[in-house]
Amino acid sequence: MFGDLLAPAFMQRALLAATVVGIVAGCVGVHVRLRRRAFVTDALTHTVFPGVILASVGDYSLFLGALAGALVSVGLLATLRARRLVGDDDLLAVVLTAFFAVGVVVASRRDSFAADIGAVLFGRILTVSSADVAQMALVGALALALVAALHKELVLRAFDPAGAEAQGYRLGALDLALDVAVALVVVSGFKAVGTLLVVALAVTPPAAAWLCTRSLAAATAVSVALAVAAGWSGLALSAVASRHEVALPPGATIVVLVTLGFVAVLAASSWRRRAQLVA
Amino acid sequence: MDLLGDVAGSPLLRRALFEVVLVGALGGVVGTHVVLRRLPFATMALAHATFPGVVVAHLLGLPLVAGSGGMAAGLALVLARLGATSAVDASSAAGVVLAGSTAVGVVLAASGPSPAIDLSAFLVGSVLTVAPADVIATVAVAGLIVVVLAALHKELVLSTFDPEAARAMGYPVGRLDVAMLVIVALTLVVSVPAVGVILSVALLVAPAVAARQWVSGVGPTMALAAVFGAMSGVGGLAISHRWSVAAGAAMVLVAAAIFVLSVVAGPHLQRNGRSSPLTDGA
Repeated sequence: MFGDLLAPAFMQRALLAATVVGIVAGCVGVHVRLRRRAFVTDALTHTVFPGVILASVGDYSLFLGALAGALVSVGLLATLRARRLVGDDDLLAVVLTAFFAVGVVVASRRDSFAADIGAVLFGRILTVSSADVAQMALVGALALALVAALHKELVLRAFDPAGAEAQGYRLGALDLALDVAVALVVVSGFKAVGTLLVVALAVTPPAAAWLCTRSLAAATAVSVALAVAAGWSGLALSAVASRHEVALPPGATIVVLVTLGFVAVLAASSWRRRAQLVA
Repeated sequence: MDLLGDVAGSPLLRRALFEVVLVGALGGVVGTHVVLRRLPFATMALAHATFPGVVVAHLLGLPLVAGSGGMAAGLALVLARLGATSAVDASSAAGVVLAGSTAVGVVLAASGPSPAIDLSAFLVGSVLTVAPADVIATVAVAGLIVVVLAALHKELVLSTFDPEAARAMGYPVGRLDVAMLVIVALTLVVSVPAVGVILSVALLVAPAVAARQWVSGVGPTMALAAVFGAMSGVGGLAISHRWSVAAGAAMVLVAAAIFVLSVVAGPHLQRNGRSSPLTDGA
């Protein structure tokens, strides 16, 4: 049955896009989970908004607009963090809402306001082109390369910040590097799957994985597997539903499935914990 | 000034002005606790969580406030519960709730019979279409919240700064956490029609952080944050009126400006330095 559902070219591209996002978000997300900074991922998805709007007003590449917006906000966050005057989460909240507000101001002077926001939030996975997928893979690969190159340092910084500092690593620089990796993940995925899906795949699978195992390698494997599985089943479910005249937006369906996966893992792990206590 | 003259002549604008002063001030007061208890991301998650509530209410023909309030309060309980376990960290819990609830809202909105809800009004607010019922709701909720915060002031401050001591003294710290999140949820529910989902978080964070640069002590911070919040509301509305830009966004930008000015020029009586290497993300 799935054969003819998934055969069309647009579906193949959608599956590929979902796979790319799943792998990239699943891997980088594990490092974000170690640092317990899931907020950064959400914040960066909102800060790309003005860049995208300005790019579409000036008819530049949306992708470059998003990249510029993300990198500017990452730089701003790094400089403000260094001052140590304001808590991290507070800073993220103010920067993300201020950037988003700038985007809203620019967009509100145009007519396609609602469409702009909708497209940025939810993407259009069923209409990605081969070029889009290639772009996603390239930027995603950059993000993966960054965390792979700094893997040991990032893990050390997460588990033993004092030790890392004592060994001469600059914590601020490592934080900036991870933020840049997250920014690349957001930029790679937003056009195809929307910012909502990027957040979901970068936060939920790693959280579920961390409930199963404390080994970094195993957690990454579980995280990627869950993210990609949610992507494929979400697309399949959405396709089946549309066959039966039910509208299930693919991006949102993927997120619902990955969230259900997390809930299942959470339930299983707390039952197991309770069983161990009793036994 | 243009705004004052027009306000005198327009009940719509008077209502909008009253609403933004209320929402701004309430945001400052509740926001003080949000900042002190490190809840900005949880607040963001709850703000997004109102969306499926609105969709469900719309589908069932219930008042939208009931939907958003019920959903936000329910998810506040979920967040508090998840945060209490050690298995899932607070940050991931907020992220899962945020993404999951928005997605559920989108799926429900798409598969429902009626046309799509006005997403942009939900995201960025629409203060000039605030109805008298909304204003009354805001006054009622604000009054309730202020009373509760005043009654629980001692317990909240102690559990914020020294949860161990609070527990030892027999205070139900867990229930205080839940209560706080529910208060945030209610604040969001009345702010969202005015400034929208994402921007209401700004009013809950920026004025409080700005106030902390000038005064010390929870009470004075709440008072100054309320002032900054109200200023953001009025300033934003004035800018919106003068230059025809979205009001909610303008309010956030004023709040952000006050924040920046305070951080740069304030006497920094309290060290907010929670972003030290040892406590980052902990």
